[in-house]
Amino acid sequence: MGRIVLDKVSKSFGETEVIPPLDLTIEDGEFAVFVGPSGCGKSTLLRLIAGLEDATSGKVIIDDEDVTQVSPSKRGLAMVFQSYALYPHMTVRKNIAFPLRMAKMSQSEMNQRVEQAAGILNLADYLDKKPGQLSGGQRQRVAIGRAIVREPSAFLFDEPLSNLDAALRVGMRLEIGELHQRLKTTMIYVTHDQVEAMTMADKIVVLQAGVIEQVGSPLELYRTPRNRFVAGFIGSPKMNFIGGDEAAKHGAHEIGIRPEHIAVANGSGAWSGVVGVSEHLGSDTFFHVHDTGLAETITVRADGEVSLNAGDRIDLAPREDVIHKFDAQGMRIA
Amino acid sequence: MSDRKLPRLLQAPAVILLLIWMLVPLSMTLYFSFIRYVLNNLRRPEWTKPLPSNWRGFGNYEFVWNNKDFWLAIQNSLLIVGSIIILTVTLGILIAVLINRAFPGRGIVRVLLISPFFVMPAVNAVLWINMILDPVLGLQGLAVDGINQLIVSLQTAPGVGWFFSLWPQLEPISFRATQTSAYAVIIMVTWQWTPFAVLIFMTSLQSEDQQQKEAAILDGAGAWSQFRFLTLPHLGRPIAIVVMIQAIFHLSLYAEIEIVSRGNGNKNLPYLIGEFANNNIGAASATGIFAVILANIVAIFLLRMIGKTLME
Repeated sequence: MGRIVLDKVSKSFGETEVIPPLDLTIEDGEFAVFVGPSGCGKSTLLRLIAGLEDATSGKVIIDDEDVTQVSPSKRGLAMVFQSYALYPHMTVRKNIAFPLRMAKMSQSEMNQRVEQAAGILNLADYLDKKPGQLSGGQRQRVAIGRAIVREPSAFLFDEPLSNLDAALRVGMRLEIGELHQRLKTTMIYVTHDQVEAMTMADKIVVLQAGVIEQVGSPLELYRTPRNRFVAGFIGSPKMNFIGGDEAAKHGAHEIGIRPEHIAVANGSGAWSGVVGVSEHLGSDTFFHVHDTGLAETITVRADGEVSLNAGDRIDLAPREDVIHKFDAQGMRIA
Repeated sequence: MSDRKLPRLLQAPAVILLLIWMLVPLSMTLYFSFIRYVLNNLRRPEWTKPLPSNWRGFGNYEFVWNNKDFWLAIQNSLLIVGSIIILTVTLGILIAVLINRAFPGRGIVRVLLISPFFVMPAVNAVLWINMILDPVLGLQGLAVDGINQLIVSLQTAPGVGWFFSLWPQLEPISFRATQTSAYAVIIMVTWQWTPFAVLIFMTSLQSEDQQQKEAAILDGAGAWSQFRFLTLPHLGRPIAIVVMIQAIFHLSLYAEIEIVSRGNGNKNLPYLIGEFANNNIGAASATGIFAVILANIVAIFLLRMIGKTLME
């Protein structure tokens, strides 16, 4: 079990309120991702759940039990830190066994659990090495192993992949996803990278300045962002925002359209502009279009085969059905 | 291999200087230790010159070996160095852990804690032996006297008087007498060098990874387990450094011993060398060679013990 409920939880450091009272429910077995720009309070929220920070007010409830005053080790949660936080003078085996040793488990059971975790994470060959001799990805696996052996009711990940290089990050992302399918344990994952959030999450919680902007599945957030912030944060490259007359035509203060929803048209588009920088990814090409009279730049995603040079005129055809409309407060107009 | 010539040539002056620096005193000591060489002898004036004709073989070594103070000096050297190291490291870790948390006035407390290290060794010894450890006039004498008077006054108290009349009169300890003077030296040097240990441990504690501690908290480690499994291993290297440096410094303690007891009942090897050197340079040199051997034995032990933590 691992159903985590935050009931009007808030956190202040002295006078500054980092997290205004918020409610959130994470169901048992769910993969929830907290995502937001740095300093939005997502790590603080995770630490509140872990018990490393005390809530200023409100309740943290795990499996119908109020754990607000319960010490971190008794909450049955395991955490994986950004810096891995491995114990440098212990071997991998001792690192993974440490929580069991603290729980005064018998040596034979301890060995069995460590071997099992090492098997799951492909660490069997490294058990007698020290963390200093391992690569970043291997260290990350050891940190996850240390979390697994405790058989926690939920895993907490605090930006676990941000110290890895891009290729490794994609691999580890997949591994964590597979681990979740295998263990079916609740996981809460904090990241500032919306790609990680989109690819891994069952439920994304978008945070800004300690406030939950929207909670939903990745596609819900992509299709129907509740406000301008979520619309801009989810999706890569970023959504184009257009104000002024063009927005007024749609009966909105501002409209947003994703780069993938604008087609490159030959002489028949609603908009037109001059191509600036183009980014060729092979499968796709991103054009940054200037002088459209709508916004400073409009980003357009086109097929990889389309080739245009800087300075070429380009006609753009937006898909009217997927234009997002926002009012003056930045909220979505249905 | 001509490409190695230039670097070697450039290194040469430093290496040669270092060799002279080390080899000349060492070989002179070795030479003096094998001849009869005294500063003043009216009957045998030829011994006052360091000539090869005064060759004595291992005679000086035999003389020192059979000297009644020699084994006492070796014992004392080891006792003093060992005790000081154990006490300073223990106290240093305790104090460093204690002041590593935030509290009002931490800056002042730190400065005060470091200050004993800036007192000169001789001044340190004079202060301790006269003002604190003196059995009559020092703090010790006054404290013992005060406790005795308190007990005497309590002996006449109704109800509990019988209990206190069973208590003996406390005797102040004279730290200038025989073996106790070694304890006086250990106490005062520990007081002076604990700040050194605190300073080094404190800086090391500040570099301790906080996320590791948080991970340990989540893993169920209590305060003691965190200290035992995280902080202590983290301090392994600084402990090794403190032990090594102090071993080097305290094997050659001199001023404190001179001031506390003038070597009366408490000598270490440097003090014995000093006594011999009043006249008998040959014997002093032989003792010096023994001291070199002792220092090497201690160094090998320390390197074995501590080398492991340093190599990790």
